[in-house]
Amino acid sequence: MMKVVPTVEGGLRIEVGTATDWLVLEQIAPDALKMEKESLASRLSALMDEASEWDEMVVPELSDLFNRQLHCVQETVQGAQKASEEDPGLGHLFISQEDGPIWYGALNQARIALEGYYRFGPAQEIEEVESFPPPKRSAFIRSQFYSALQSVLLEHVIE
Amino acid sequence: MNPLEATSATTLTEEETKASTELASAWNILVFDDPVNLMEYVTKVLQKVFAYPREQAEDLMLTIHTAGKALVWTGAREPAELYVQQLHGFQLQASLEKASS
Repeated sequence: MMKVVPTVEGGLRIEVGTATDWLVLEQIAPDALKMEKESLASRLSALMDEASEWDEMVVPELSDLFNRQLHCVQETVQGAQKASEEDPGLGHLFISQEDGPIWYGALNQARIALEGYYRFGPAQEIEEVESFPPPKRSAFIRSQFYSALQSVLLEHVIE
Repeated sequence: MNPLEATSATTLTEEETKASTELASAWNILVFDDPVNLMEYVTKVLQKVFAYPREQAEDLMLTIHTAGKALVWTGAREPAELYVQQLHGFQLQASLEKASS
């Protein structure tokens, strides 16, 4: 079972117990790219009028920011996983206080993409979730985990 | 003066006037509810972007949550665009609309 513990330095330590835990963490970036036909930055841009020239002026910058968030998370997970393969006693990863907003943003991207792709809806009854086809059910469970991790980040890391 | 040049000069002036009027007008920033962003996060973002006190940010967040959207700031177009850019950076759904006079 994965454990998330606040550190004295103001970050988080995620203790990764099983191979499935690593799979869930590895899935954050691919989940965030689930809506690849239209990026998050472009979807947000659709809320602006044409006069703002948002697509030309802002979207590239936002896309870059969002990509950097995913890249940072992916790199941290892969590095920690590699270390744990070399030394099974190192089954953990750290999120530093300064990386807290980056992790939050990446998890948010993943949840926004999963919500857009699967349309979970606002409040899912457990019976309804059990009737989901397996890919949607596992995506819903991952989304719940991402949300829980975001709550811990908000409570202990992000000021 | 060539009549064509005169027309083009007039058009440019009208465009310039329109642009300066738009910049001088008041614009509203709206933030919309969505099924993903956590309430505490929305509160923190509003505090961070607009330097609102916690209580004001919380009230706005609750309006967004219950009414589906909230007017979070009104002012000139230029700073409004910068604020919206920041809100989008925090992945909140925000838009600009001209304030009714």
